Amino acid sequence: MSATSYGWLVLAFPLAGMLIISLGWRVLPGRLPGWIATSAIFLAFLSSIGALLDLLDHSEEERQLVDTAWTYASTGDFKIGLEILVDPLSVFMCLVVSGVSFLIHLYSVAYMGGDRGYARYFAYLNFFVFSMLLLVLAGNFVILIVGWAFVGAASYLLISYWYRRTTAVAAGIKAFVINVIGDIGLVIAAFLILDRVGSLEFLPVFQQAGDHFSTNDGTLVAACLLILVGAFAKSAQLPLHTWLPDAMEGPTPVSALIHAATMVTAGVYLIARTHPLFELAPTAADVGAIIGCATLLFAGTVALVVTDLKRVIAYSTISQIGYMIMGVSFAAYGAGLFHLMTHAFFKALLFMGAGSIIGAMAGIQDMDRMGGFRRAMPFTFATFTIGALALAGFPLFSGFFSKDEIIAFGIHRGGGYAVLAVLGYVGALLTAFYSFRMVFRVFFGDAVPEAVELEQGHIAHGEPMNPMTGEAEDTDVGFPGPEHHIAERSWPMKAAMGPLALLAIVGGYVAIPGVDSVIQNFLEPVFADSHLAHDEPSTGSEWIGLVVGGVISILGIGLAWLVYRRRPGTTARLVERFPWAHRFLGHKWYFDELYDAVFVRPVTTFGGFGRRVIETDFVQGTIVGGATGIVRVSTSFARAIQTGYLRAYALLLVLGVAGLTFYFLVNSS
Amino acid sequence: METTWYLVLSAFIFAIGVSGVISRRNPLVVLLCLELMLNAGNLALVAFSRMHGGEAGQVFALIVMVIAACEVVIGLGIIVAMYRNRLPIDIDEMSELRG
Amino acid sequence: MTIHLTIILFVPLLTGLVGAFLPRDGARWTVLIGTLIVLAYVVAMLIDFDPSGGLQYVTDDEWISELGIHYSLGVDGLNLFMIALTAIAWVPCTFVAAFTEIERPRLFFFNLGLAETAVLGAFMAQDLALFIVFFDLMLVPFYFLIGGWGTGDRVRATTKFVIYTLSGSLLMMAAAIALGVLATPDGGSISFALADLRERSIPLGSQEWIVLLFALAFFVKAPLFPLHGWVPDTYRSTSIPVLALLSGVLSKVGVYGFLRIVLPIMPGGAQHWQELFIILAVFSILYGSVLAFSQDNIRLVLAYSSIAQLGFIVLGIFAFADNGAQGAVLQMLNHGLVVVPLFLIVGVIAVRARGSESLAELGGMAFRAPVLAALFLVVSLATLAMPGSGNFIGEILILFGTFEDKLVYGLVASVGVALAAVYMIRLYQGTMHGRVGAAVESREIDRVNLAAIVPLVAIVIALGLYPQFVVHRTERDTTNAIQRSAAVAGGGAQEVSEAR
Repeated sequence: MSATSYGWLVLAFPLAGMLIISLGWRVLPGRLPGWIATSAIFLAFLSSIGALLDLLDHSEEERQLVDTAWTYASTGDFKIGLEILVDPLSVFMCLVVSGVSFLIHLYSVAYMGGDRGYARYFAYLNFFVFSMLLLVLAGNFVILIVGWAFVGAASYLLISYWYRRTTAVAAGIKAFVINVIGDIGLVIAAFLILDRVGSLEFLPVFQQAGDHFSTNDGTLVAACLLILVGAFAKSAQLPLHTWLPDAMEGPTPVSALIHAATMVTAGVYLIARTHPLFELAPTAADVGAIIGCATLLFAGTVALVVTDLKRVIAYSTISQIGYMIMGVSFAAYGAGLFHLMTHAFFKALLFMGAGSIIGAMAGIQDMDRMGGFRRAMPFTFATFTIGALALAGFPLFSGFFSKDEIIAFGIHRGGGYAVLAVLGYVGALLTAFYSFRMVFRVFFGDAVPEAVELEQGHIAHGEPMNPMTGEAEDTDVGFPGPEHHIAERSWPMKAAMGPLALLAIVGGYVAIPGVDSVIQNFLEPVFADSHLAHDEPSTGSEWIGLVVGGVISILGIGLAWLVYRRRPGTTARLVERFPWAHRFLGHKWYFDELYDAVFVRPVTTFGGFGRRVIETDFVQGTIVGGATGIVRVSTSFARAIQTGYLRAYALLLVLGVAGLTFYFLVNSS
Repeated sequence: METTWYLVLSAFIFAIGVSGVISRRNPLVVLLCLELMLNAGNLALVAFSRMHGGEAGQVFALIVMVIAACEVVIGLGIIVAMYRNRLPIDIDEMSELRG
Repeated sequence: MTIHLTIILFVPLLTGLVGAFLPRDGARWTVLIGTLIVLAYVVAMLIDFDPSGGLQYVTDDEWISELGIHYSLGVDGLNLFMIALTAIAWVPCTFVAAFTEIERPRLFFFNLGLAETAVLGAFMAQDLALFIVFFDLMLVPFYFLIGGWGTGDRVRATTKFVIYTLSGSLLMMAAAIALGVLATPDGGSISFALADLRERSIPLGSQEWIVLLFALAFFVKAPLFPLHGWVPDTYRSTSIPVLALLSGVLSKVGVYGFLRIVLPIMPGGAQHWQELFIILAVFSILYGSVLAFSQDNIRLVLAYSSIAQLGFIVLGIFAFADNGAQGAVLQMLNHGLVVVPLFLIVGVIAVRARGSESLAELGGMAFRAPVLAALFLVVSLATLAMPGSGNFIGEILILFGTFEDKLVYGLVASVGVALAAVYMIRLYQGTMHGRVGAAVESREIDRVNLAAIVPLVAIVIALGLYPQFVVHRTERDTTNAIQRSAAVAGGGAQEVSEAR
């Protein structure tokens, strides 16, 4: 079988899984939908491996295979086929996506076990994986946009999965609309490219881009900036990031899969995929790098004060994607995608751990209520700490190698890039600090009642309620189920977290400077045409970067230890001392308030104005009133004649006849 | 004999009919006056037919008589229906078709 | 295979007449069978249609020879899918109506049949006079359907609807007569056949006001801002199956008229008003979207969303670009196909909410009705033109066509795409998600509506998978329809640049 056949299979399995579950949801018993979905993703993972092996059989120049299923829409120069592109980049993404998805499906089988919408959950989840794979396999811009929008829709559905929860519903519409803004950016970018290059297929566009555009051509910069709008909307970068923290309303495995490991990194993939365009438009690439850097610092600061466990991880995700966006905008494609992969491992792991803790807390997510879970949940504690170490970039963990490679590349490019890269170290300090803020606050300290109860062998059961608002809920469809699950008690959850923990440790060893560079070598054919990517920093300077990064990481962890373990209460004193700073960060830099004032209010106000003034006064009053007015005046005249008196009619008749007679008499003489 | 006299007579009868239709409120009288107008027309038709020597005018007169008979039947029928429903026998009261 | 358009055209009327003489419940089934026959015949036509386009299955008889009026029918890429849409849309609407308790069923179904004949006639007509006859004939059954079987303040709504659209079409009739007369060359004989009119030249000055009068009639029917005054009242008080047809099919006749009559025959006049019509279209998109976003009544949300969608279609037509017109034709079909199930679902929702159609009182319907929620979801996503739906290809083509020459208008119109997401998701969530509303009784969709809606949803999905089926068949004739106008617009631009 050829690589493209494997590519189609990769798409077919999740789609088939979704169809089977969504059509058979009434008859599939118990946890069967979960197992069907999980095995569908596993088969997709195997097919990805098949595609990988087949691709490795080709020589390096021939590792870009295109296959078209059928003509999708074709008119004039707008020629779109349902087309996939199998190359090292897409296969790499397929492997990461299907691999991590498989583990998260496995985790969900147990974690969602008590939910009344079990089958619906897995249908959505399979649909998401299908869409994500379609996105990474797409062979032209339109199919890419299709996949792009599908993952947005799947994300919306899963955020609003508990659809009777008002906060989940509000979070869903926010995510959907921001995603649509990104879609529109991509559509306009696609037009600009089609207009100049005359094609929307990836390979011809990338090969011919140089013939049609000079460096920093205005149109191309505009197109690249619009692509960035798409990337930022999906990857939750400034200023389009506000949906991601709210997206934590979805079930925790969804946060792990979509809002940490896969979908939100699509922006990174997109920039890497369209790198020939960005290299021709360095201005746009610089914008990407600056925004990435700004985002990673912004999100890092917010993560210092947020107390909702999942939202801390969400802000951490925004921050880490900032690194990736910065990396691929530096033209450090290999490093950016490497960080994408390791991040998928440890961030999925962190969310799974968080899910286990939330299960133990009976749905409560607030860190202020947690503490002392170390003894009650040893497995969760171990894996969560591994994830946190990897996130913090602790030496020899996976994040250590990938994050520092991006920074080293930036410093090597020099100039403004070096400044951004050094700011990346500041972000690394924040990262290490907030990672262990979570660990110390959740697992150390005095055991809370829930932890004590768990040590005695019971999982806490609270009244079902919305953790954000405290509204009372029930446990039927549309709300979380009655049972809570923790990793210590469910083998599928353990089986999912174990491999991820291992990968979070060793995932970085595939690209140790001076030792090996598996990822860079494998992706080489995709970026062979790049004139920036091959100017890599020397092994020596990379190691210097690693040492600096390691020191910073240890420093951050130590600081967290100092603040939360050695001298508890430091934070309270800080809040007392700098209330304005705490307020500013606590309100997430007031982005939500700003958007509400700038976009939402004016539109609703205009809507009300339109309904009250334009509709009634102008449309109904002037236009309809004018037309009906003429009719009304003329009919009222006609009505006046119809008196209803027979004798009046007769008189009119006679007068009419007499008048006519008189007229003819006069005329004839 | 001159046709003119017939026509003058016909005009007089027609005028009487018209004034009756316009001025009287009893539907029975209105019907009678309508008959008068029709018969005035008949008289004129027959007179012209005689003057020109053709039969067409007489044929028309016959048709008018048939129509007049039908019309009287319907008219009287309406009046009887009104009477049965104890409605006032007055055409000014029957102004439901006012626009 | 020979397809007799006359049979397709008159089967619904005939079955309506037959039904009118059958005992009480006969009319429901005869008219339903009639719509099914039409559908079957149209499907055969779709299969048989030569994909490369051109006028096919032509019927051409002299009707009123003194006035040069022909009974002339034909199908090409422009109207093929409009006819298909009519045939498809009538079946579920009749089906749902047939299972509903209706007063005076014979009259109702006779009008339904007559309406289908009129709409099909307007789409098939290849003679201007015949087009106008059917265009005005459409009003008659809808006058009775809205006035006789509507709810609420239906008399007021009907009067407004009829007076409003009638004044538009009277102006159009005057314009059409003027067109026929002015186009007649010295010594030639008058003709209203579209093929003849295309060959004849009309003085530019006359073209301008004739186009304006046509546009008035078509914009009222579409509807476009600011001529949509009849919409709110009519949408509020029309019964659901009739409303689905009104919004899904009738609204397309007007915009279809632009492509069939105005652009090919009066390119100069069309070009003269291009800028104004584009501005109206763009404004309709934004205005319709914002108002749809701020409505509480679910019917009105859809009413204003229709205004926005029709704005997109008009924008695509008047972009005078191949892509734009192609997208407009596709979007005419797509919009019809999503609006019909949307309104049927609104009907289903209203039944489950004790007749309430207010978003404030609805919510949480998905709780016990997952199938209803799933169907509604698919249709909603298609309506907001999510990539992967046929609507997306329609909209992207419209936008691409607009970007070519009118980049700024295109960019403003793209804002409408985002707003569409806002109002459709708001509608979906407001009815299906959230806490279960006070008046709501969440109950699964009934079998009748299920049987009516599922095939439509299947067609929507199929079009999303393979829009090329439509694009391929409409491409040539759409390009031809706008060719002359595009040439005039391009030539005009050249003259301007030369003058400089």
